[in-house]
Amino acid sequence: MAHLLAARSQMGTSLAFHIIFSALGVGLPLLLCISEGLALKYKDPNWMLLTRRWAKAAAILFAIGAVSGTILSFELGLLWPTYIKFAGAVVGLPFALEGFAFFLEAIFLGLYLYGWDRLSPRAHWLCSFPLWISGLASAWFIVSVNAWMNTPAGFIVKNGKLMGIDPIQAMLNPATPYQTLHMMLACYVATGFGVAAVYAFSMLRGKRSAYHWKALRLALAVGAIAIPLQIISGDANARFLAAAQPYKLAAMEGVFHTESGAPLSIGGLPDEQSGTVRGAIEIPNGLSILAKGDPHATIKGLDAYPRNDWPILGATHLSFDGMVACGLFALLIGILFWLFSWLKKRAWQEKRWMLLGVLLAGPLSFVAIELGWMVTEFGRQPWVIVGYLRTADAVTTAPGLDISFALFTLVYILLSFALIRLLLRLARSPFPPIKLPWSATPYHYQAETEAGRVGI
Amino acid sequence: MNKLALLTLCILWVGLIAYAVLGGADFGAGIWDLFAVGGRRREQRNLINQAIGPVWEANHVWLIFLIVGLFTAFPSAFAMLSIALFVPLTIVLIGIVLRGAAFIFRTYELDASSHTAEIWSRIFSTTSLITPFFLGASAAAVASGQLVVMHGTMTANLGSAWLSPFAITIGLMAVALCATLAAIYLTEEASRSGEPELARIYHIRALIAGAITAILGALGLAQSPFAAPQLWQGMFARALPVVIVTMLIGLATAVLLYRRRYGLARAAIILETAFLLGSWGLSQYPYIIPPHVTIANSANDPAVIIALLIAIGIGMVLLLPALYYLFSIFKLSVPAPGRAAEDQGQMH
Repeated sequence: MAHLLAARSQMGTSLAFHIIFSALGVGLPLLLCISEGLALKYKDPNWMLLTRRWAKAAAILFAIGAVSGTILSFELGLLWPTYIKFAGAVVGLPFALEGFAFFLEAIFLGLYLYGWDRLSPRAHWLCSFPLWISGLASAWFIVSVNAWMNTPAGFIVKNGKLMGIDPIQAMLNPATPYQTLHMMLACYVATGFGVAAVYAFSMLRGKRSAYHWKALRLALAVGAIAIPLQIISGDANARFLAAAQPYKLAAMEGVFHTESGAPLSIGGLPDEQSGTVRGAIEIPNGLSILAKGDPHATIKGLDAYPRNDWPILGATHLSFDGMVACGLFALLIGILFWLFSWLKKRAWQEKRWMLLGVLLAGPLSFVAIELGWMVTEFGRQPWVIVGYLRTADAVTTAPGLDISFALFTLVYILLSFALIRLLLRLARSPFPPIKLPWSATPYHYQAETEAGRVGI
Repeated sequence: MNKLALLTLCILWVGLIAYAVLGGADFGAGIWDLFAVGGRRREQRNLINQAIGPVWEANHVWLIFLIVGLFTAFPSAFAMLSIALFVPLTIVLIGIVLRGAAFIFRTYELDASSHTAEIWSRIFSTTSLITPFFLGASAAAVASGQLVVMHGTMTANLGSAWLSPFAITIGLMAVALCATLAAIYLTEEASRSGEPELARIYHIRALIAGAITAILGALGLAQSPFAAPQLWQGMFARALPVVIVTMLIGLATAVLLYRRRYGLARAAIILETAFLLGSWGLSQYPYIIPPHVTIANSANDPAVIIALLIAIGIGMVLLLPALYYLFSIFKLSVPAPGRAAEDQGQMH
């Protein structure tokens, strides 16, 4: 059992680490594309400066994303050979397509990061398009594999053998549209609010130039457009789960008994012995309304399933509630910020509590991604491919998994420290003079005065 | 059906060659970083950064292509390799992650001469040496036919196959080959960017590394009859002409290099690597893991193979022009749309 736990811990740690960089890998290219486009359109040195700054951070973050993603592609086999034998046979195709998308991303990243002086300004900007498009495509392909693990499709098993494999049907399994959309939006939410938090922090420390203001507004625009869509997509996911994976929804919401007019339990700890969620706030009929749109709708409880098929209850429920709370907080911040903008209350947008809210929403958006991913993973247990392969049966026979787990954990800790240190130093470093495509003289940044401020 | 699986394997083999000549050279550049000593150390490191900076991430993706292609087309073979090679591949993985991270950390370290930058440089170069060694040793373990034992449960090989004298020889040869590739590219790169002194340094290193590769290759070949008997027989049955051509190209590379025809030497070492890996593939045919796992008995459902081939076809239509564009901007002196008017080989 310790063997399995070590494998799961290593996989979990690897994914928890990688998911941060993959979200930024999807989100940052869009910010780069917009800010460089604005710089070229308005011949605005601030936008160009921001683009250069973000590109530098992106270079570091993407490299870590690339190597940590490589770890995962190997670990699928190294830790879960039985799984990859099965999944490779059926959903190898989206993996391969994701490989191509990643390839294109890496190629255009090289052009983008090292091509400032090698490419014409227009060609350089155009390189940011394949960057964000292939980032989105990668996210779609890889999450379609995860969706397939939840709602396997595109094959039959006859006498223990895989037959009639249809890779397209497998890729377009029932959960794919719901999960992929939710993850793609999550990348924009987290990147938007994450980047905004950096500039909210600067502004709280008194750096309130047009440069910071522009960065904050662009990042919050991306985040605030994505977050309401994300809440709607989350609602669609819950409804889908109620129909396709009721045990997962039951674990997320702590529903032990099948009942009509099920309440919504917020917080609390599911207790398997008593079959209740202890310490939860209950909203009568809440779950029935949310999941089925009818206060008296019947919600399937865990009692409809054998005990050894139950997901990991506490972790699933708490992760779910945590994710929702983080998401709603980001939504609130996004709404307030743009409401003040609409009311032309610039001073309110720059209030200390508003900036503190933005500062908090950034990390919480990443917490939401981690928790959301945990919901889907804990909620799928004890299966790795629902109904076909149990996680315990997928693990490798290779020995020494605890050593391997310890080693990788050490590597991740080392990388995290080094990365944070480097990013902080980069953020604090003065701006080097940059070459502007529309001007012969290099541009030196100087913090502008209050009068020099302009909006987007 | 088997023809399609064979075609897929051939495509994957081309991917392997691409990884060797591109990713391998990046490893090699890291190895030379270890030898960046003396008065011109700073210039050597700058040249290495300039050479691999724009392309290393793309070069690295060939490995992902191989892994994903292998587990899609030959899932059971991939599962066996993952179990049997658990230890060396884990080392390779840690090598890959530390190497990529260390390279990017040292590149963006604000003060290139700082203590931290020096530590990252050391990690970068050490892992650049370790990783190809274990990749080569793993390949040798597969070729030896001693990796997968068919009775009882499949389990991890703890070194008998990947730390045998044969595997060590091939592992070292992989390291030497990476170093040779990189040295030749760096010679060409240095001479193109007007650094004759650096070109001279790497010219000598390329000759030395090439000679070491050849010696290790001969040693590996000498061990083959007993260390990898099936490979040896396969070579005589199918691959002898290719092996001879490989040796001739090796000689040609040395001559071109000696006569300072750097551009041609670069083409020759790429061809040499392709023929070397090609002769391995031909000798091992039709086995994926000798002596039991063949193309036929491990190939996936034809429907998946066909879908994969179509996906590779579509993917390559997008990928190859993009890749060509990347290399034409940074590595080749060819006209390319969108190239900056003032681009005179200056790096950012």
